[in-house]
Amino acid sequence: MDIILQYPDLFIFLFLVCLGYGAGTWVEKRHYASIKAREEQFLNLPVVTGSKGFFDRPIEKSVLVSGNVVVSIDYFKRLLAILRNIFGGPVKSYESLVDRARREAILRMKDTASQLGADIIVNLRLETAAIGQNANRKRQIGSVEVIAYGTALIYRDT
Amino acid sequence: MKFTPKLPDHDVNVSRTHPLAELFWLLGGLVLMAGIVFTALGFATDLAVTKTPLRVENWLGKQALKRFPASPNPPLQRHLNSLLTTLPADSPLHAYTFQVFLSENNDVNAIALPGGNIVVYSGLLRQVESENELAMVLYHELGHFAHRDHLRGLGRGLGLTVASALLFGRDSAASEVVSKTLLSFQVNYSQSQESAADSFGLEMLTRHYGHAGGSTDFFSRLATTDKGKLPYLLASHPHPENRIEELNELIDRNGYIIGITLPLAQDLRLHAP
Repeated sequence: MDIILQYPDLFIFLFLVCLGYGAGTWVEKRHYASIKAREEQFLNLPVVTGSKGFFDRPIEKSVLVSGNVVVSIDYFKRLLAILRNIFGGPVKSYESLVDRARREAILRMKDTASQLGADIIVNLRLETAAIGQNANRKRQIGSVEVIAYGTALIYRDT
Repeated sequence: MKFTPKLPDHDVNVSRTHPLAELFWLLGGLVLMAGIVFTALGFATDLAVTKTPLRVENWLGKQALKRFPASPNPPLQRHLNSLLTTLPADSPLHAYTFQVFLSENNDVNAIALPGGNIVVYSGLLRQVESENELAMVLYHELGHFAHRDHLRGLGRGLGLTVASALLFGRDSAASEVVSKTLLSFQVNYSQSQESAADSFGLEMLTRHYGHAGGSTDFFSRLATTDKGKLPYLLASHPHPENRIEELNELIDRNGYIIGITLPLAQDLRLHAP
């Protein structure tokens, strides 16, 4: 008990790392399950990055659609990244974070488009930003933002 | 060409390594690296201690003394000075100006600090009963100086603290833990260093008094005292029983005689608080 009182910082850090691993893994699992389900659901709404040659049919309406998401890292992922800073190599703990953010942003965009009754989304663009410029500084938790936007096209019924 | 929507079988953007496995490898690598650094520092220190100029050592000693609430003690100093006269003419210890300090502390211990400073805890002085016994303790510390053990332990602790500060940042909790446990001037010597200092002490004691009387008294008192009272000394030094055995073996081998010990001078006696 004494040792905990002597080094409170260390034990708070260890607690946060354990919490980060437990909660982070649970949240990530749930998020991936939800992502996969919704990707199935929106499978028939095509999204392309090109802007020409996809609309041979007359177009009723075109709308700008966007979806964005911010995902935060946890202490466990940050610890792995710090260790990676020492040895170098791929920061695997951040890969799932960026992957989730990208897929979630596209799904939200698709969600908006399907509500509008879109047939296709063309000219998809993805942009990303780190929230908090000092995300890498000590005792700071960073987040990643991904915004996906494109043009939703609704064909004229023929 | 017809567009057929299909989801990919698996996600190539996320590595499949289990995060705990990665943590294990990374931490393992870090521990290995720290081990290598620690070993290398040990070798570097062993090399450096033989070449450290006295000037640097004196400066280190001054820094170390600042951490101890210790004051010079004239009776102890007189005792030490008389002990120093027995040192052989070619002893490396003649390069030092030895100073002895008394520190108010209930631990039963004495410490050799760089620069020829010896700190004796009042807890130790309260236990000592004869002049010879005290001489044995002081000669033991002088033995650490003769073998330059005081610099060896310091160098390793210092190096590790610097390394952890570089890795984790100067004011992180990790470096604080490392420095608190390792950058301690009350370094724990290895058992072989303690034995070497003991045999140095025994040799000098016999030279000074003409007999080995009192050399084991202090340790036999430690061996019988309640261990709970002496956690520090028992933790950092070999078990007193083993030290007595070793000393007796040396006494037999060298044919030293055990004479009658002198009572402790009046001005060195401390009354229990």
